[in-house]
Parts: sequence; C-alpha cells; structure tokens
Amino acid sequence: MSQRKDLLDAPVKSIRINGTVTVDQLIAQFKNSGSFGAGRISQACDIYERMVRDKKCTVFLALAGAMVPAGMRSLIADLIRERLIDVVVSTGANMVHDAIEALGGNHYKGHWLMNDHVLYKYHVYRIYDVLVPEEDFIKLDCGLVEIYDQIASESKEKALSSSMFARELGKRLNDPNSILHAAYETNTPVFLPAVRDSEFGYAYYLHASRRNFQNTLVIDAFKDVPEIIGICRRSAKNGMIVIGGGVPRNTVQSAALATKSGLDYAVVITLDRPETGGLSGSTLEETVSWGKLKGTADHVMVIGDAMIVFPMMVASVMERIGKNFKRKEKSK
Amino acid sequence: MTEKTETNQRFCGNCGSHNAYNYPMEVFCTNRFLRNKAAIVKTLWCCEEWHLNPQKCECVEEAKKKRIPRT
Repeated sequence: MSQRKDLLDAPVKSIRINGTVTVDQLIAQFKNSGSFGAGRISQACDIYERMVRDKKCTVFLALAGAMVPAGMRSLIADLIRERLIDVVVSTGANMVHDAIEALGGNHYKGHWLMNDHVLYKYHVYRIYDVLVPEEDFIKLDCGLVEIYDQIASESKEKALSSSMFARELGKRLNDPNSILHAAYETNTPVFLPAVRDSEFGYAYYLHASRRNFQNTLVIDAFKDVPEIIGICRRSAKNGMIVIGGGVPRNTVQSAALATKSGLDYAVVITLDRPETGGLSGSTLEETVSWGKLKGTADHVMVIGDAMIVFPMMVASVMERIGKNFKRKEKSK
Repeated sequence: MTEKTETNQRFCGNCGSHNAYNYPMEVFCTNRFLRNKAAIVKTLWCCEEWHLNPQKCECVEEAKKKRIPRT
C-alpha cells in the first residue's frame, strides 16, 4: 500500500506559453499539467512514440467516423508512406470518401446549422459541417462499377478478402494523396470489415444488377479473419490507435485476442461514453477484461475530437523522432 | 399554380430515377444505367420510362435558367 507522501509526489505545473511554441513544446506543457484532457493527450503522444520506436511492434490504425471527409486523408496517407502505421482497419465509408477525392471529387466546408431541405433540393449531402455534392457520389459509383467489372473479370468469381479488395482499389486509384493508393504502394494492408455498409455496397448492387448477378465481384468477409490474426501472430508486439471505435476497433482487438496475448499498446480517441455498452465508448480497462489488451499494456483513452487530437499527436511524435527516423519494415 | 406545372413537366430532372451529375444541365439515370443504356442525360430531356419524382429538387428550374441566358 502506498504511503501518503507517494500520493503527493507529482505536483501539477502550470502551463506556460512564452511566445512561439511548437506542437511538441505545447504537448510538453500539457504533460506538466498532467490533468484532464491535457494529461491524456500528452500520454497518448508518449505511447504513440513508444509504439513507433518499438522495433517489435506492429501499429494498427482503427478508423471510424467521417475523418476523411473532414480532411484527415493526406495525413493518414503520409503516415502510411512514413511507415508510422503498419495496418489500417477502416469503415468502408472512410475509404469511399478517399476514393471520391481520388476520382476528382471534393468535400466542402459547410455549417452544422444549414437548412437541410435546401441541401436536399440542390442534391448536396451534409456530414455535420462538411458538404458533398451528389454528383461526386454518382461519379464514384460509375468509377467503382468499372473497377468492379475489371476485378470480377480478373478474379473469375474467386472471393477476395476485404484487404485484397482494398488493394485492388488502391492499385487503380492513381492519386498520391489517396490512403488506398499509399497502402497499395507500400504493401500496407487495409481491412474493411464492414465494407458493404457504405457506397461500396451500393456500387456492388449497380455492378451486379448490370450483370444479372452473374460473374460478379465476390468479397468474403471471413477471409479477413485469418489474415489479420496472422499479422498479429507474426508480430512480437501489437499496438492500436483507435479513432472513433466501432467495428474497426473491435476487429483489431479481436485479432489480438486470438493471439492469446492481447495488445501491448493502445490509444483510443473518442467522444463516446461507456454507459451504453457499445464498443466505441468502452474503456480500455473493459478491454483488459476480455483479454484483448494486456493488463500491463501502455494505454490511454483520450476523450476528444479526433480531428484535433490525432493531428496534434502526429505532429508531436514526428517532431520527437525527427525527419531521419526510419522504422524497420514489418513483414505482413 | 406555376410551380405545380413545372414539377409535373416530363423532364429527366423531374423523374424519380435521376441523380445530379453535371448540375444542373445533366443528370444521371439509375434506370438506364442498370439497363446498360447511356445513363448521363440532359436534365431537360425525357425518355419513355419517365415517372414523377416525389422529391422537389431544383434541377429543372436551374437547368431552364441556364439554358435561356437572361440579358
């Protein structure tokens, strides 16, 4: 049992901003405070730094929520290229929006209080305060149907895992800022466990209907399971960064559970709450109870907007490791 | 009265199968796409399979404005 003096050995230091500060200097001030969100984000930076410096660790990024429409696309593509992420597990929707931009579409700044009846009349969709013109989805559908036709012809009804499907997409999206394309170029697996729950699913309907549901693209979600478990098994250590949660978070955690050793590092950035029993808000202590996260794991949950937290984390860690830092390439 | 006449006019931009494509002059027709027919059609065109769109969008109105430039 700790003594009273042990409880009081780390005083809170006030945050000082003396003129210009870099992101990592600001994070260091947050660490001095060590309190509330500031303390958690500084801890998240420390854990991410340890993950990337740990040569034995495979870093998984679980991505949910409309991060790509909001502007996180190039950041993630760059992290893949810099090998600061080894595996991506994403909602289908984020990769749909990645493909929209790769095919020439755009996302636009709007407002959360816009008149949605007006947007509806003008065929404009709203994602909180981001707008997407309907034609960008339609152009995506047309592009995807063409790609699905090609994949179907090549694979001859042989089922693809979602990561094989993502790779086929990345091969055909010729855009350096695309997450899927960066993943293809660097041989980084992208798993889309809920692939049909997005425009990828509707594009499948268009593709298959035109072929009377004969000789279509086939994706087998179960094929992902041995693939992702295999990645976890081959790695001596595994760490995850979760943005949002949902199916992507559980896909990573379940793979870690299957290795019987659990994750070694975890950073979760979410605004969800644990009281619903839903995964996105569940605490990492709850994750320990399942054996998906080691009881000794380096972990923190940051309650905050990932659009603010994650870029700050990346900026801070990049500043620490420097431009010449090279991670050992993982065997996938 | 005028609005009712407008929305009931037989244009692709009023049809239930349309989506925006090159707004406002061209729309995408899902029906035609599924039948492997040319799916990008003029907003103010109309095919034999036209059916009224319950959605009150601005496609036809905007296409008409753009078609007849006002001096």
